[in-house]
Amino acid sequence: MRLLRDPLSQNKTIVLGVAGTLGVLAMWELLIRSGAVSKPGLPVPTRVMAQAAELLGNTVFLNQVFTTIGEWLLGLGVAAIAGILVGGLMGAFPAVFVAFEYPVEAFRTLPSIAVGPILVLLLGAGVAPIAITVALSSIWPILLNTLYGVRGTDPTAVATARTLGVRPLGLLMQIRLVSALPFAFTGVRVAASIGLIVTVSAELLIGSGQGIGGYILLASTNAGNLDGVYAATIIAGVLGVLINAAFALLDRTAFNWKKGLAQ
Amino acid sequence: MTSATSTEQAIELELQSVSKSYGKNLAVKSITASIPQGKVSVIVGPSGCGKSTLLRIISGLDFPTQGSVTFNGAPVRGVPEGLAMVFQDYSRSLFPWMRVDRNIGFPLRHISADERRQRVQEAIDAVGLKGKEKLYPWQMSGGMQQRAAIARALASHPKLLLMDEPYASVDAQTRADLEDLLLDIHATLGVTVLVVTHDIDESIYLADHVIALSAPPSVVAETVEVDLPRPRNQISTKQDPRFVELRAHVTSLLRSH
Ligand SMILES: Nc1ncnc2c1ncn2[C@@H]1O[C@H](COP(=O)(O)OP(=O)(O)OP(=O)(O)O)[C@@H](O)[C@H]1O
Ligand SMILES: [Mg+2]
Repeated sequence: MRLLRDPLSQNKTIVLGVAGTLGVLAMWELLIRSGAVSKPGLPVPTRVMAQAAELLGNTVFLNQVFTTIGEWLLGLGVAAIAGILVGGLMGAFPAVFVAFEYPVEAFRTLPSIAVGPILVLLLGAGVAPIAITVALSSIWPILLNTLYGVRGTDPTAVATARTLGVRPLGLLMQIRLVSALPFAFTGVRVAASIGLIVTVSAELLIGSGQGIGGYILLASTNAGNLDGVYAATIIAGVLGVLINAAFALLDRTAFNWKKGLAQ
Repeated sequence: MTSATSTEQAIELELQSVSKSYGKNLAVKSITASIPQGKVSVIVGPSGCGKSTLLRIISGLDFPTQGSVTFNGAPVRGVPEGLAMVFQDYSRSLFPWMRVDRNIGFPLRHISADERRQRVQEAIDAVGLKGKEKLYPWQMSGGMQQRAAIARALASHPKLLLMDEPYASVDAQTRADLEDLLLDIHATLGVTVLVVTHDIDESIYLADHVIALSAPPSVVAETVEVDLPRPRNQISTKQDPRFVELRAHVTSLLRSH
């Protein structure tokens, strides 16, 4: 995207970005404090920030953040293993692809969160139904990316491996899956963001007060603590940004070689 | 591979009326040829006449529509033991997720790490890629990638070495060096070599015999025995009147078919 005729230096970009954000927040604050906009329940930036700072120093809340991260990681981990396995097999074996194509298409379009209440009925409330809901919603980008990555393996690379004595199982594990890994990882990256949103949503809908979602639920109903609701929401958002940045960094370092893929 | 006087040559590879069609397209009509053990055989022929297809069939990657290929008397059903192949698509044949040294060491993955490191280093030095060990294939020029692919084939110390236009992307001097490297390795290891090339001079310089193919649908136009003495030399061999004669002959074969 080119907005400017000449690209700005990195420092200038940061300064401008921060200044712009602060400016908008300051104006928002001014509008509310001056009474120009008066509707109860609207967030006042400084109060939300203060509340967020307080929450981050509060061990009870921090434990809830860790609970959310735990549920998210569990769901994402299950999705990654199952997605890479099933996607890899579907990409490598046409028979498996044909067998699973329609089930995948059908399940993919279901709103996974709707399965949540059923899971609670079956398993009882707790971490398990939330993690499964997360896995159900985040498996698809991983599965599909792995499938197309494996299917797109360079035939010359496969032929080369065959002349070097690699057997069919080795071809799948050492060549096709490895060459699909950058694509699978892109799927995991996408799934990570979706998964975090679903984790917090599931906590709100089928949780029993645990996690960031549980905090938001309690703050909004019992106490009417709207600053707390806004602050926790922002913290969840920032967590998402941090997770995405971490995955982007991992992508650049671990899959540096993917520049060499003939795509 | 000792006596030059022996008239009986051990035949390693035997192609019997091999034909290959892709759907309705008859790529290779009927090829009958013998690749003697421990010799250098070179296939020349116009573009699209099925040279790469033949190498795929010989290496067990693909199967003939008709006819048969036997390796040491047994029909080829899969990739034969001790085979190494340098693909025409050398850049796609290097694994992009492995650095050069791991790519070259890949055929040696079952031997000890020490021995592997030494063999890889030998191969890297031989093709002139010293100092490039830690590059990824895509960080190298086409010619360097091609040399890495050749090094990988050499590092495995194959019994049968197939090379599909292995020197197409290197400069003239490197090409001459790599031709001599191949002849050196052939002389020391006694490996059976089958090279595909477009270059008639190169075919005669390398070969014990040249298999000239016709335009598609291809048949063998003629198998030319190259009776030039070894070791060969880039300057004196190419000035040998016999070399000039053979070159004229192969050139005329490729023209008239
Ligand atoms: N996988 C394939 N599917 C269909 N046709 C093919 C396939 N591979 C090769 N052919 C056809 O077979 C013929 C021979 O191809 P091949 O690549 O063996 O030629 P070649 O002699 O190696 O040519 P070049 O010198 O240009 O490399 C061509 O007509 C080509 O179109
Ligand atoms: Mg070819």
